[in-house]
Amino acid sequence: MSTSNGYPAILFQDVWKSFDRHAGQILLRDRLRHMFHSHRPEKFHALRDISFRIEHGESVAVIGHNGAGKSTLLNLTTKLCRPDRGVVEVHGGRIAPLLDLGAGFHPDLTGAENVCINAALLGLSRRDVRKQFDSIVDFAEIGDFINEPLRTYSTGMMMRLAFSVATCVNPDLLIIDEVLGVGDLGFAVKCRERIMQFRRAEKTILCVSHSNDTLKDLCERAIWLNKGEVMDDGPIQRVVEAYKNAMQEHAVAG
Amino acid sequence: MSHRFLAKQWSLIYVRDVLRVLVARDFKLRYKRSVLGIAWSLLVPLAQLAVMYIVFKEILRLTIPHYTSFLLAGILPWIWFQSSLITSSMTIVENRELVKQVGFPIAVLPTVTVLSQMIHFLLALPILAVFLLIDGLRPTLALVALPLVILVQFALTVSLAYIVATLQVKFRDTQYLVGICLLLFSYLTPVFWDFSGIPEPFYSIFMLNPMACLLTAYRAILLHGQLPAAKPLAALAVLSSMVLSSGCIVFLRARDRFVEEL
Repeated sequence: MSTSNGYPAILFQDVWKSFDRHAGQILLRDRLRHMFHSHRPEKFHALRDISFRIEHGESVAVIGHNGAGKSTLLNLTTKLCRPDRGVVEVHGGRIAPLLDLGAGFHPDLTGAENVCINAALLGLSRRDVRKQFDSIVDFAEIGDFINEPLRTYSTGMMMRLAFSVATCVNPDLLIIDEVLGVGDLGFAVKCRERIMQFRRAEKTILCVSHSNDTLKDLCERAIWLNKGEVMDDGPIQRVVEAYKNAMQEHAVAG
Repeated sequence: MSHRFLAKQWSLIYVRDVLRVLVARDFKLRYKRSVLGIAWSLLVPLAQLAVMYIVFKEILRLTIPHYTSFLLAGILPWIWFQSSLITSSMTIVENRELVKQVGFPIAVLPTVTVLSQMIHFLLALPILAVFLLIDGLRPTLALVALPLVILVQFALTVSLAYIVATLQVKFRDTQYLVGICLLLFSYLTPVFWDFSGIPEPFYSIFMLNPMACLLTAYRAILLHGQLPAAKPLAALAVLSSMVLSSGCIVFLRARDRFVEEL
């Protein structure tokens, strides 16, 4: 599946994305008011004319400081939102999104129940879930706690379980958002090892993080975003160097 | 787009699996920390039955034959309808954590709420059977039409649930509006009164209310042992499927904005 018929794994072409500054729920009251006063919501451009192409098997880091558009880029890739203009294409098999780990878990349900629900949502059939259940629990090192409500778990335990479920689907595209620091040190090593396994198996990896050092081991290429535009795109060593220098200059100047 | 990840959302097996785990999740969450658990789905209609019986039979002295069965045959479908719409108005906002999950098929959520409420309804049917037997009413062949009536009500409720769920994300006022509309409609719907005796122009007008039409059908089958009038039910089925398809289109259009607006 990983080198499929000439399509890139991810393609962004002239992508623009903006948000209304006061997006969110609007009460009928506001709506009515807007009918009488002409009102144009202020636009915030999260991405401006972004284009890049990620081939199958590439591992790419997206760097840039807060508000540079990294999360928007991930949301577009995972189809959580759509571009205003331009094209976003994602080709290939399963996506394992390691974003907001454990966000879909419910605190009142047991670990086991949460695992079954999440795995089903990721597209595993009931039989697959039964087959993989033990290995998911083992990897997360949850033990007997698996039958306790999730609210009794420590944050580390919950993250471990979430990571374990998210990666059990044998993905072709891994999307990682600063979750390498999952749980304690021992488990972080295990997570890295599993992610490196995907890397060696030539899965496509798209990774967003602030900590540049973990990125250098994991990714070969980096895309540097600044205020919604691509500043640099190339080998990770070079881009990270350039990014660091710019940050330092900025700090000195500021 | 050659995207199996998206294609998976439209595979029927996937949708079935997701519906199953989410309906089960609904039940587990509802009853996990309540002492009486699933019994609540029986206690609510029974309490309503007791109050209405005392008020309308003992105090106001309505003369409707087999009044307890008559009431319960109205209360149960009405509760299914009412609680489906109330919960579906909140389902997307309440499940925002799921909605924000990558690849979550948001479109199943209104169906999940109507399905779980339908299970409550089905669980309460044996109670209704007991009341019917106590009133000396015996099942007849007309009973074969019952699943059909349930199906029409399901279609009607789901189609409205999509519209309500979509509106709620845009305007948080929707849930209050739905509550008021349901309250008013519960009086226009013959839940505790019988409108078979009212004069003609009004009868037809009242029958335009889909729930009035459905309750009349339930009672025809259960209390009178007759097949329900086919025409209004067929019209209702056609209407529901039309509303359902337009409701789905509106929902799917709005879906892309849900994540941004939550």
